[in-house]
Formats: sequence, structure tokens, C-alpha cells
Amino acid sequence: MYLSIVIALARFGGLLSRITKRGSGVMVAGRVILKLIPGAVSTLSAGRSVVLISGTNGKSTTTALIHQALSTKSNTTSNYTGANLFPGIATALAENRAATFAALEVDEMVLPWAIRETKPKVIVLLNLGRDQLDRLSEVRVVAAKWKAALVGLPASCTVLADADDPFVTWAARDWVNVVWFTGGVTGHIDASTCPECGAVLNWTADGTSYSCACGFKKPSPEWILRDGNLSGPNSQRVSVVSGIPGKAAISNAARAIITSSLLGISTSDSCAAIAKISSVDGRFSTLKIGSTNFRLLLSKNPASWRETLATSSSGPKAVALVVNANTQDGKDTSWLWDVDFSPLRGRTVVVTGDRRLDVSVRLTVNEIEHKVADNESDAANLLGNCEADLIASYTAFHRLAKGVKR
Amino acid sequence: MTFSIVHLLPELLGTYGDQGNVEILSWRLKERSIDHEVIVVHAGDKVPTKADLYLLGGGEDDAQIAAAEILNHGRALAKAHEGGAHFFAVCAGFQLLGSTFPASGERTVEGLGIVAVETISATPRSVGELISTPTIDVPMLTGFENHGGQTRFLEDLQPLGNVSVGIGNSESSKVDGVVTDRVVATYMHGPAFARNPELADWILARKLGELAPISAPIFTALHDERIKNVK
Ligand SMILES: [Zn+2]
Repeated sequence: MYLSIVIALARFGGLLSRITKRGSGVMVAGRVILKLIPGAVSTLSAGRSVVLISGTNGKSTTTALIHQALSTKSNTTSNYTGANLFPGIATALAENRAATFAALEVDEMVLPWAIRETKPKVIVLLNLGRDQLDRLSEVRVVAAKWKAALVGLPASCTVLADADDPFVTWAARDWVNVVWFTGGVTGHIDASTCPECGAVLNWTADGTSYSCACGFKKPSPEWILRDGNLSGPNSQRVSVVSGIPGKAAISNAARAIITSSLLGISTSDSCAAIAKISSVDGRFSTLKIGSTNFRLLLSKNPASWRETLATSSSGPKAVALVVNANTQDGKDTSWLWDVDFSPLRGRTVVVTGDRRLDVSVRLTVNEIEHKVADNESDAANLLGNCEADLIASYTAFHRLAKGVKR
Repeated sequence: MTFSIVHLLPELLGTYGDQGNVEILSWRLKERSIDHEVIVVHAGDKVPTKADLYLLGGGEDDAQIAAAEILNHGRALAKAHEGGAHFFAVCAGFQLLGSTFPASGERTVEGLGIVAVETISATPRSVGELISTPTIDVPMLTGFENHGGQTRFLEDLQPLGNVSVGIGNSESSKVDGVVTDRVVATYMHGPAFARNPELADWILARKLGELAPISAPIFTALHDERIKNVK
């Protein structure tokens, strides 16, 4: 009863903050709940099947797809709009108390807390890579936190883990109920040393597998995604269809299908539901600036830039890059030099954002012709009346996505 | 004669876009039509001892230790240095060139002993923009530092710059990096040569003699913008 009153209060607070434009209603409501009842998330999780989704890249998309798939069977709540810290998680659980499923996106550092509080049925571990180096610790440190958190799991929990990622493998491999997945990701920009012993990790020449003298190696996956076809135990086979462009989206759709099957939903049902989603939280939505029709793409770190550049290369000829270096983007722009921008060669390229000069130097050395614009309107003026991709870092993306009609 | 650049262990020492420094050197040489080659040395490869310039970048703890083991093997780098080769080292690479550097669990790891410096662990990490007034004839230096070590000189050495913004080698010394007759080292990444093209040219000129100017106003614009916007 007390919890219900607090939630009602929190909703009012959230509404108030939205009306007064003082901040995101989601965050305010969640903060109020956690302030008044510190154990609220545990109480709100009881009796429900909770799925936690964490990793450096693909959290929001995978969470949205899992939400969609689980909804085919039962009422499901989710925070896939990216509020993935304590308040966002509390709010998602509080705002739909009728839901029997919860698909929760969780920040990498918050995952240990979320595991303790929600006692999840399934944990989806996507990947771990460098991200905002100025703010977060070394990748292996995050993996170690995950590893320690998984030790405390109840045996009823299943971990769906990416065998392609040495850090995910290392974090999950001690746990008994691991379902290993491979989406065909090759190599890993940060996994040059063995997470177990620190020696140089041996990668096969094609980058598909890794091993170390200490015995650490890539586990053999039960679920294999190859050319859009997903195969699993008991000869399960499904052709994965994604409404969201790109290779990573197919992998995330496959993870959503596997997760749903672990919770009793047929692969054909979840597959059909997932195919209907074409945009998550503004990603791949369109925005007209001046006379240019932009398709919005989000990129956050070297791994996601590589992925986005590959996805965008089958898009329109024109492309604008918007790079900022605020706290949420990471203040260190040296990652620009970890990305090979050659896929942009031959396209019409305009760069803008607070750190456009850093990008311009990078592109100059990468021998990619481009123009520098003061802001997005200026970029649109340079591009004129055409279709264009706009690839933006975190803060620029979210500012622009707000201008998109949902 | 072909100018040879050795890019050491990019998979271990490349956390902060350090390969950018190699690309920029190569680009600047190409703009001047100077014949050159880049030799990339991976773990397990033999380290050449007769090249002109060796580059070491930043890396995480385990990677830095693995790199020390590989590069100390057969004293390959020390021999190259004794043979007259030049070095440019950033962050973990700078620490590696010294006598010792710290590792997790209070351990101390032996470095390459090429420069008389040692690094001890320090908290909190030094993270943020780094600006210094150079002790050599180049414009103000700008970079981004991110390190958990403090480096001190074991003998009277020339720093690369006197720090005005950021930490550099250590809070107390107020200097960044080191310059010897054949070594330039710094805590600046960003990468360093992207923001400080004259530093790249200064290092090249020590080996190649006076260089023809190149027109690349975008480098200067980035340098000036960073100095202006970081106060
Ligand atoms: Zn090992």
C-alpha cells in the first residue's frame, strides 16, 4: 500500500518536472521512489520474470526488441528509451505494475546492483569495449565486476552471453546456466591480452576465435547466427528478419528471439513481432533540416562507429558527421583515430559538432574529402535538397532526436 | 634512403588513438614526397634494431606489462637506441622507456631503461586536457592525458613542456614529458601529433634535417581551437 502511494507521488513529481520542463519525468519519478523506499526495485521485481540487458553497444535496441517479443505473450514493461541507471529501472518497474515481464536495459556499472535487486530470470550480456575512456575504467575492470556479480546468482537464472567477446566470456564462464551465442563478430579492439592471466591472447587469423596458454578460450556456442539464419539446440532454426538496418540489429534480434524462447515464446512468434520494429528511441528516424532529409544514426565509441559506417555505406550518398565531447560523449576524442573512415570515401561528407576540427584533421589524414560546417543548419545548406545520413555522437543525437515526431 | 618508422605493438599500446601519430607522420612525409616505410611490429614479431624512429603508445595495465616483456627480450629496443634510433613515446609508452613502472597489486615492473625516469602509482588518475609551454622550438603543446602514474626524473633531464593546464608527469613537478638527444616522450594523447603538428615535424627534422613547409591549415586550426577553448 505504502509503495502504491509513493509511486503515485512519484508520478506526480515526474509529471510536474515535465510540465515545468525541469528534466526528464522518468528520472524524477524513479529518484522519488528510490529516495522514499530504497528497496523498491526488489519489491517491484518480486513475482515477475525480469530480463536484464547490458553491454557497451546495442542495449537500447536489444531491450526494445525483447520488450516487443515478450509482449506477444504477456504484459511487459521496459525502459528501452535509455534511462538505464537506478531511477530509470525503478520507474519502468513502477509505472506498469500489471506487467508479468520486465525487459530492463542496465548500464554496465549498474548491472551488479540490478542483479541483486531484481533476481532476473535471464541476463543478456552483449559485449564489453572501450567507451568514454575519460570516465570509465579499463574494460577488464568492468568485466571483473560482472564476474563477481554473477557469482551471487540464483540457479534459476540463465545468462545469454556472447562467446565472440573475450570479456563477456571471461565474466560469464564460471556460471552454470550460460547459453552461449555467436553472431559472427570478429576480433576485438580491446582484447589483446587474456582477461584471465594477462598474457597476449591468441586470435585466429580470421578473428573468429581466441585462446590462451592458461586454458582460457572461446566456448562453443549453442546458438549460432550466420547470414541471418539462427540455429539453436534441438535443431531449432529461424530466419531472422529485422526492420532496423545493419548487421548489429540482426544480432540483437537473434538475441531477443533466444531470450524469448527461454521464457516460453516460440521463435516464430517473437521473430514476427520483432520484424515490425524499424526505429528505437529515434535511431534511424528521419529529420528534415533546411531542405535536407536526414536519417539519424547514433554512434558512441570506436566499435559502434565502425558498425554505423558499415550500415550507412548502403544508405544515401550524402552524410553529415556530428561529434561533440561533452561528459556523455566522453571528453577525450582520441578514439577518432581508432576508426577507419574509409567507408566514407566517394560520398559527400560534411562534418560539424563542437569537435568538428578534430574530425576534420582525422578525415584529412584518412584522405577523405569533406567540408566543415558550423552547425547542422549550415551542414544542411551545404548538402542542399537531398537524402542524407546524419551520424551523431550521444549528446548531438539526443538533441536532434527530440525534434523527431514519434 | 627510405626513412623507416617502427610502430610498436599497436594491439597492446594503442588505447588512446596512438596509431594516429603513425598515420600523421606518414601523411606529413608523403605530403613532402619523402620516401618512407612503416613497419608494424606485432606480438611475436622480431623487433628491428636498425630503423630510424620508434613509436610507443598508451595501453592498459596488462598490455603494458606484456609489452615490457616483449620489448625487453634480447634488449632489442635498447640496442636500437644505442645504435642511434629516435623514439617518440606516449603515456604507457613513456613509462615503459623508464626504469620501472607500477602494476596492479603493488607490483613494480621493469621498464626498458632507455630514459632515466621512474613511474609510481598515484591516485586519483590524472584525466583531462593538458597544455604546456614547450622547452623546444615549437608552439604551445596541447593534448588529453589519462594516466594513473606519476613519473619522476632520476637525473637532471629536460622536460618537454612546462604545464599550465593539467597534471603531466606529476602534480609537484609541473612539467610534462621528457626530451633527450634521441627521445621525446609525453603524457599527451589526442593523439599528440594531430594537435601538435610542429612537434611531429620537429622530431622528423632531428633525423631528416630541415623540412619543406606544408600547407595544412586545418591542423593549425585544431591546435589553436584547443588552446583557446581549454583554459
Ligand atoms: Zn590466459
